Amino acid sequence: MSPLLIENVFLIYFFVSLSLLSLAVVASKNIIRSAFFLLIFLLHVAALFLFLNAEFLMVIQIIVYVGGVLVLFIFAIMVMNLKEELKHRRFIKFGLVGVLTGVVFFIGLYIFLKETKESGNFLTNASVENFGKLLFSYYLLPFEILSVVLLIALVGGLAIAKKLPKEDR
Amino acid sequence: MNSLEFYLVLSATIFTIGLIGFIIRRDLIVMLMCLEIMFNAVNIAFASFSYYNGNLAGQVFILFSIGVAACEAAVGLAIVLALVRNTGINHSDEITFLRG
Repeated sequence: MSPLLIENVFLIYFFVSLSLLSLAVVASKNIIRSAFFLLIFLLHVAALFLFLNAEFLMVIQIIVYVGGVLVLFIFAIMVMNLKEELKHRRFIKFGLVGVLTGVVFFIGLYIFLKETKESGNFLTNASVENFGKLLFSYYLLPFEILSVVLLIALVGGLAIAKKLPKEDR
Repeated sequence: MNSLEFYLVLSATIFTIGLIGFIIRRDLIVMLMCLEIMFNAVNIAFASFSYYNGNLAGQVFILFSIGVAACEAAVGLAIVLALVRNTGINHSDEITFLRG
């Protein structure tokens, strides 16, 4: 088999599996099951980054998303201790309108990117060294601002999730 | 269909599924998960533009996007947790305190 054929097979696999996994997150009845579908989805996205010469981002995706955000989701589900109702309605009353909005949005997006042209020069100098040089020279100020945003989110999350006193509820 | 177009269509598909899920689901936590799906779709588009234009700046923007997504998840889950603790509501169409 030629390498191009193998690459096409892998890309089609990723298309089908990513679509099905995101549909499973949206449609599954149990919240914790939907969290685990999200886990497999995030790992697939991490594997897709490898196709695009972004090894560092693959590692970051696994560490931050799977190790941080998803664990936060599962902990929140466990802390909330949600009682599943017997007839648990998953979707809102006018769900069809939402689906219609999404379909119209997708059609517009598809018309916009239908005949995309490639520029021809691929990314060849992608390494962690070049990435770090770019991040800490040209993008230093956004990096520092991001650290402040993370600090504010930390303090804000603690302040919001704190238990209210009895009379304020 | 060339490869860049393939990645962009993949990204658009996942973004649309996340958007539909965000609109039609009732559970607040699953709505936040759909936000994560949309963030990931945008990250795929960033990475494919970065690869097919030979420019490393797209990958740096993915790093910022992942950082902002982590902040958003933390604050959003804190809000949902406060709502469930104080009112016992965990569905988006039951929050009707501001209705006249």
